Amino acid sequence: MYIELHARSAFSFLEGASVPEELVGLCAERGMPALALLDRDGVYGAPRFYGAAKKHSVRAHVGAEVTSTAGWRYVLLVQSRAGYQNLCRLITQTKLRAKKGEGQVRPEEMAERGGGLICLTGGQEGPLAYALAKGGIEQGVQAVEELCRIFGRENVYVELQRHFCREEEAHNQAAVRIARTLKLPLLATNGVSFARPQQREVLDVFTCIRHHQTLLTAGRLLCSNSERYFKTHEEMSQLFLDLPEAIANTEILSSRLHFTLNDLGYQFPIYPVPDGESQMHFLRQRTLEGRIRRYGPENERAREQVDRELALIEKLHLAGYFLIVWDIVRFCREKNILVQGRGSAANSAVCYSLGITAVDPVGMDLLFERFLSEERGEWPDIDLDLPSGDQRERAIQYVYQRYGKLGAAMTANVITYRGRSAAREIGKALSLDPETLDRLAALVGSWEYKDPNDTLERQFHDAGLDIQHRKIRNFLELCHAVQDLPRHLGQHSGGMVVCQGQLDSVVPLEPATMPGRVVVQWDKEDCADMGIVKIDLLGLGMMAVLEESLHLIRERYADEIDLGHLPQDDPAVYTALEKADTVGMFQVESRAQMSCLPRLQPKCFYDIVVQVAIIRPGPIVGNMVHPYLKRRQGREQPEYLHPSLEPVLKRTLGVPLFQEQLLRMAMIAAGFTGGEAEELRRAMGFKRSQTRMREIEVKLRRGMTAKGIIGETQEHIVQSITSFALYGFPESHAASFALIAYASAWLKCHYLAAFTAAMLNQQPMGFYRPATLVKDAQRHGLRLKPIDVTRSDWKCTLEKISAGFAVRVGMCYIKGLRQEIALEIVRQRKIDRFESIEDLKQRVPDIQKVELTALAEVGALNFLSNRQGFHRRDALWQVERAARRPGPLLETPEASLRTDRAEERNGTPNQSPAIEQSPLLRMTDEERLVADFRGTGMTVGPHPMAYRRTEMKKLGIRTAIELKKLPDGAYVQVAGAVIARQRPGTAKGFVFLSLEDETGIANAILTPQLFERDHATIVHNQFLLIEGALQNQENVISVKAQRVKPLTISRAEPPSHDFH
Amino acid sequence: MTFASIFVPNFLLQAAVRTEPALRERGLALIDGNPPLSTVVAIDETAAQLGIEIGMTKTDAEQFAGVEVRPRVPMQEKIAHAALLDIGWSISPRLEDTAQDAIVLDLSGLSSLFGAEQAIGARLAERLKACGLRGNVAIATNIETARIAARGFAGITVISPGEESPSLSELPVSALSPSVETAGVFSRWGVTTCADLAHLPILDLSERLGQQGVYLHELARGAFARSLVIAEPAHSFQEELELDDAVEELEPLSFLLGRLLDQLCARLTARSLGAAAIRVHCNLQPSFENTVEVFQTHQRPGEYDTEMQLPVPVCDSKLLLKLLRLRLQLNPPDAPIQKITLTADAARPRVTEGSLFSPSFPDPEKLELTIARLVHVVGEGNVGSPSLTDTYRPGDFEMRDFRIPREASPTKRGRDRARRTAEERGNCTIPASFRVFRPAVPATLHFGAGSPVRAAFQGLRGEVRAASGPWRTSGDWWQEDSWQQDEWDLEIHFQEAGERSNPGIYRFYYDSLGRGWFVRGVYD
Repeated sequence: MYIELHARSAFSFLEGASVPEELVGLCAERGMPALALLDRDGVYGAPRFYGAAKKHSVRAHVGAEVTSTAGWRYVLLVQSRAGYQNLCRLITQTKLRAKKGEGQVRPEEMAERGGGLICLTGGQEGPLAYALAKGGIEQGVQAVEELCRIFGRENVYVELQRHFCREEEAHNQAAVRIARTLKLPLLATNGVSFARPQQREVLDVFTCIRHHQTLLTAGRLLCSNSERYFKTHEEMSQLFLDLPEAIANTEILSSRLHFTLNDLGYQFPIYPVPDGESQMHFLRQRTLEGRIRRYGPENERAREQVDRELALIEKLHLAGYFLIVWDIVRFCREKNILVQGRGSAANSAVCYSLGITAVDPVGMDLLFERFLSEERGEWPDIDLDLPSGDQRERAIQYVYQRYGKLGAAMTANVITYRGRSAAREIGKALSLDPETLDRLAALVGSWEYKDPNDTLERQFHDAGLDIQHRKIRNFLELCHAVQDLPRHLGQHSGGMVVCQGQLDSVVPLEPATMPGRVVVQWDKEDCADMGIVKIDLLGLGMMAVLEESLHLIRERYADEIDLGHLPQDDPAVYTALEKADTVGMFQVESRAQMSCLPRLQPKCFYDIVVQVAIIRPGPIVGNMVHPYLKRRQGREQPEYLHPSLEPVLKRTLGVPLFQEQLLRMAMIAAGFTGGEAEELRRAMGFKRSQTRMREIEVKLRRGMTAKGIIGETQEHIVQSITSFALYGFPESHAASFALIAYASAWLKCHYLAAFTAAMLNQQPMGFYRPATLVKDAQRHGLRLKPIDVTRSDWKCTLEKISAGFAVRVGMCYIKGLRQEIALEIVRQRKIDRFESIEDLKQRVPDIQKVELTALAEVGALNFLSNRQGFHRRDALWQVERAARRPGPLLETPEASLRTDRAEERNGTPNQSPAIEQSPLLRMTDEERLVADFRGTGMTVGPHPMAYRRTEMKKLGIRTAIELKKLPDGAYVQVAGAVIARQRPGTAKGFVFLSLEDETGIANAILTPQLFERDHATIVHNQFLLIEGALQNQENVISVKAQRVKPLTISRAEPPSHDFH
Repeated sequence: MTFASIFVPNFLLQAAVRTEPALRERGLALIDGNPPLSTVVAIDETAAQLGIEIGMTKTDAEQFAGVEVRPRVPMQEKIAHAALLDIGWSISPRLEDTAQDAIVLDLSGLSSLFGAEQAIGARLAERLKACGLRGNVAIATNIETARIAARGFAGITVISPGEESPSLSELPVSALSPSVETAGVFSRWGVTTCADLAHLPILDLSERLGQQGVYLHELARGAFARSLVIAEPAHSFQEELELDDAVEELEPLSFLLGRLLDQLCARLTARSLGAAAIRVHCNLQPSFENTVEVFQTHQRPGEYDTEMQLPVPVCDSKLLLKLLRLRLQLNPPDAPIQKITLTADAARPRVTEGSLFSPSFPDPEKLELTIARLVHVVGEGNVGSPSLTDTYRPGDFEMRDFRIPREASPTKRGRDRARRTAEERGNCTIPASFRVFRPAVPATLHFGAGSPVRAAFQGLRGEVRAASGPWRTSGDWWQEDSWQQDEWDLEIHFQEAGERSNPGIYRFYYDSLGRGWFVRGVYD
């Protein structure tokens, strides 16, 4: 039986066109017992290859093509674990000393790490072909002898490939002669680069991308034919009829390759504990201290739960893992870095006691098994939320420093070809001109929802493109074919893996683009599949906001806030939530959340947990939102899908909302074991498991039928479970998020100035643009002061005013102003105040004219003059001169004098030189608005709508706030700046618009027909007038649009958040 | 001094409408750019009212009923510009060719001939109209004021001395054509009209905007004085002939071309120049076939263009005529010719003298003629130097322009040495040369046990004694002319006696797309 021992997958990044699963699928389909995957310079695809092979009972041989310094590639197959470790170390060694994506192995390194590896002489890129081309048979013999010296004669095979090429056959003849001379075995392979012949087109396009060519210019870089596909035993035997031993040897060699990926030899690091103590004892001590602190000494339920968990942790030898996570959390606390565990860790009382999580699982009765179970056989998942930015980086660097460069690494993020990236690169390969390419790229995934009438043909026609044109047709087919194929290796945002000893012997490491970071060749799912423990250190914008708010409160209000001890039932928070007054609040600020809040009427913390979880595609698609709300309002009695499920669903009134509930439902209704439930959970977790979900569905139905749950009930249960497939929210995760949501709401209600400043400083984040956050804060009574070079810092700051604090907008909001210039302005200002624009220009000489202009245009230089009425245009007038200063020789005596004075400041109060009045007119309100939005993306002055209110009133246009007082069904007109346009995939083509005026935000719902009709008006206008019937149901107010008209309010362009 | 400026608004559109006044009655949009991404570059009022905007794609524009969408024709614009110059020269010999859509005339001393300024303005407007153009005329005592006023004010404007500043005051500053940067400064300053700019103190403005500020300030006040840049009479070597009756045959066409070439060469000779290239542009009689738009083609419907690059500048009208005739015979226009435009790219003629010791090459002019004759016999693209292309497509090559080689080709000894070296290195070399059959010869091949056993072609039959293959290639899958072939090298013993009865090694191939066997050639 022929066994393919030289196949490349798409994980050879642009040198292969099929995913490993496809290759394995074909292998199994043809009854071939084994397959070897040899990707270029890595084992990137190995876990997926191994996983698929295991499923199909195919033996997965691991190997790689490793680039030598001479440019050819060693073709290596792993024979034993030692060989695998050698391969990983070899790749790591070469990668870490080179730039990202490069690296070549030196002969001496290969000689050192050749043990446990089998070497093939390779195809066209192998050492033999290279030597033959360079020096004929003689050099060919030498090259093979060199391989024998490195790997041992018994570990070298002379490889033959036949792709119906004349030159290749000439090499083959030479190779056979060499093999006969040196008495080495022959080995037939097909040097597979794609699974099926038609995928050659994808490979050709990849070749163009790799060589920065187009199909027209790539010439003989492309494939000469389509023969590098996965061939059957019969096809290969036919090809090698004259050399049957080359086929027979594939089976012999396969039987020599003992290594599989379940033999990785991975060990989790041991946490260093004081002498004489075991890790478990140390963990018990820390947990006990924490439990007493969290629950008090008397809480029996907590004690029992903690003991139960500790017993399991001990049994599973996981004490070290908990201690390592605890250690990271402890480091963060010491360094004042806000940290909170999320994910299933929140189900653990031990995590709660250790301070890793902030949700009390005992009080909330959370399912511990969701976090850790004996059956699962994998590491528990602990994710830590950290403030995004520098603070998270500090935590990551701590882990590197603690476990060494080769003991810790980031997990990879395999970037795949999707949407626009695929479109652009394929378009270039097809020589589409840039303009066509822009149009095609713009067509890809523009809006989330696709109208059923919105066919591809129509979209192309609308964009002025002819779908019948061959180039366009090729483009579409190729875009489809490359979808989800790996493109390159990125770095996961926060997933880290750690290892006892040398991580580089488990998986090759590579340098990341970010200096000081290394990345493993596998993504986080692959790491989990391979049983490597990972810790997610995730950056969360809101954590950064909370941290900065606390810092500002401590510094300016002199109040010390402990987020862990916030008042639990703060009425202000719940009032704001009930009224959906939640702009800026974590997870509850979106339009969908706002339309649910008045119905759900949160009264306690658990309500927030439900609120966070309910507005998710899972519950929405599963039609679970409305039943829950009705039952909560008492308009419907709780009903259970089956009486046996009542204990599981009671808390959510019979409606399954959380992942844990679905797992329990599967366990109760279908008799799933913990392991099976876990399989279900993993299938829910990520996208590539659609097929797995279908298989589980079959199992679910079988289990339920066995338990007598049939018919409609079975259908409902199955639907509930499968609709969560991709978007289910675990309760513990929702609870962790709810805590942050509560904290953000509490800070907004009680320290609005600090919260707003922090929000503005952490942009971009959240649902709304800064312009909306500013207007919302102003409506809540906060005073925002404009940017002023004499007062503003780079970031937004707090200024004491008679009634508390105002926010001074930071210079970071000035578009085009460099941070170092702003910091220099602040530094100079601290030395002495600026006397004039010229003075500023002299003392901050690196400031460019565009920067000075940007400052002047938004009024940031208005305060440099003592003259009353000095306005933006005066500043612009001065700037133009200051920016054009003559050289020192031609400087006027007055200017030199000023310079001298500036240099010899002695602390005496300065007298401002008389500032020349400009002949320019002051900006009008409209001009100021335009300048504000253009220069900073927002305005702290009146809302653009406010200037036109009188006119609007005459037209009968209502303000957003007035809508609340109008009855349901009233025909209204509303107008405002569009701040959000949404067309969610779950809304059947309906479009949701949010219009902002000076009184608040009005929401409008547009039917698909209306959107279709007035598409251009809706999408391209900043200000809209919407007419329609008012819907006021349970205090959720929206206008059901019947007409949409563009409005000319201002030339200013308030930014809008459009969700595609 | 008095100057008049003529400005033709929406020049591109007017140039197009000029020759076809009927277009004025309906909406018209001109497009430019490569299909399928042509965009609208000019529109008339009707089109604008209907909602067409500059920058729209052709597909978008075509959705508006009642608007004709046409490609822009640069030649029409050139001719319209020439007409504009003609109008100027018909009034004053002192003329400045300011822009494609604007000219300035010196009217000094013309009042006795044409009357007062207003009368001259009216006369200019009248002549514009007669030439099918509509434009603005402005008369002032300085060039720039006249130019700016013509751009800014519709109809005829006469600005009396001393009235320059008030006259221009309402015009937007953009009429002064400031640089993008300065326009940005004005916008930020809120300076929108010439009056706003004129009110700014000039010294302060100079401090801020330098000399450009001063210049613009003077322009805004109508105070900038400069001298006229006199345009020389036309230097474009172009001759044009519009025919009352369309020409269909080559002979009468040759006669007309000869006339035009004589004139062209006479003009070139007068200036001691030769033609480095000749372009022929013909307007054809419209026919149904020509109205069909061809995707990405150089030929526009209803027009015929051909270009002839010459190896050395030529000034011999007879030689040029011969070359043109051959060109036209080979690739004749597909409709009767209504109008001929000949354009010559002028260049200095060759003055070098051949070396006494350098090898003798044919005279370039004669060589060009010979090549043109050969092209006429064997077809375009079939004459030149063959050159291999970077592709796996068997036998593929391209023809490059024939040029006399400057270096001698490698000697036989050199070739032998290169072959020996390659052989020593064990490289795959084909020892025999290969004679390609072009076109390939259809053949029949019989297989036995997966290998060819008998072959037949061109009436010959033979047995296959040895076979090597298949050698498979395929490619250009993204194009219409993709290929997929299996090649076999076969040693054939022919059954018939005769010249070909000796065994020969042939290369056969199976064209998988055309589904047939062919003989590609024979090893010598």
